[in-house]
Amino acid sequence: MNNLSIRSDLVGAHDRAWAAIAAPGTWLTGERRVAVAAEVRRARTCAQCARIKAALSPNIAGEHETTGKLGAAEVELIHRVVADPGRLSEKWSHDVLARGLSEGEYVEIVGLAAMVMMMDTFTRAIGAAEPPLPTPVAGEPTRYRPSGARKKAAWLPLVEPEDATAADGYLYPSPKAGYIYRGLSLVPQSLRDYWALANCHYMPGEHVYRFDTSIRAITRPQVEIIAARVSAMHLCAY
Amino acid sequence: MLRESMQTQGRQVDLRGVTQGFDPGVEIPHAAELVEFAEAVVLRDAARTDAARKKLLSALGEAGFVDAAAVAAAFHGFVRIADAIGIPYTTAARGSDAPEVREQAGVNQFYRVRYVHGE
Repeated sequence: MNNLSIRSDLVGAHDRAWAAIAAPGTWLTGERRVAVAAEVRRARTCAQCARIKAALSPNIAGEHETTGKLGAAEVELIHRVVADPGRLSEKWSHDVLARGLSEGEYVEIVGLAAMVMMMDTFTRAIGAAEPPLPTPVAGEPTRYRPSGARKKAAWLPLVEPEDATAADGYLYPSPKAGYIYRGLSLVPQSLRDYWALANCHYMPGEHVYRFDTSIRAITRPQVEIIAARVSAMHLCAY
Repeated sequence: MLRESMQTQGRQVDLRGVTQGFDPGVEIPHAAELVEFAEAVVLRDAARTDAARKKLLSALGEAGFVDAAAVAAAFHGFVRIADAIGIPYTTAARGSDAPEVREQAGVNQFYRVRYVHGE
């Protein structure tokens, strides 16, 4: 990445994450997934996103500056998730879905946006150059929807641990996995791709509630003061 | 999580710092450098990030700095999943973020809590 010595597990996680982004997903082709990644990068300099972010209310009219490779619903979803995630609402999510996205597409796009934001933020933070986007891999999406997915606790359906089936594949490190783990469970492959990356950035689930130890080169309070401040600046109440 | 990690070490932290800025006396080594770096990264301020990176690298060394950057980046992903999927914030930290904790930290002033909860 640059002349810093980066943990090999982190380098490997980024390599695997970019490869996963380029491959056909559950609801999106590889080409569309890479287009989502490109739109995430475009959103960072979108003037409409800047106007929304600066406004007292996020509900202001205007057009996003886009790569032109995706539909209006996808663009709205990506730009708002990238630029102003702390002021989203359930009504807004319903409006996005009503504009022509399926719930599975919505969740898959959110997972991709979160992965790209994580990786690009890291490279920028360490002073490295942003890597070029990967070349899409041809193939068809699997279109797998878990039979146990239910809309209950969140705006989008989730698979609660007790409703997971063998067909879903690996989902949770524990039956008590927090809701942040369950967020992408409507699209199990997105959940697995996301957490394979996030666990290398933060820590695997089995370490999260072991506050007396740190598996990183900084102490646990040092980890958490960064986490708390970054979350607060995003107006994230979770 | 911050509160719990401090309590494990027999220490306290004023959670108002999460939203209002931490007291210089907070008992976390290099807290000021960590927070400055985190803020610069979130704001995508290149010059501020460059300056903060140098200070944090000097304070923590390469391995510590890389892990600090990795954590800051991780929470650019977590917040987007939480807020785009609309997972219930009352379940954060397995529900240990009680209302009084959110109030102390200033989280009850966030848009999601003030305007979206219960919609």
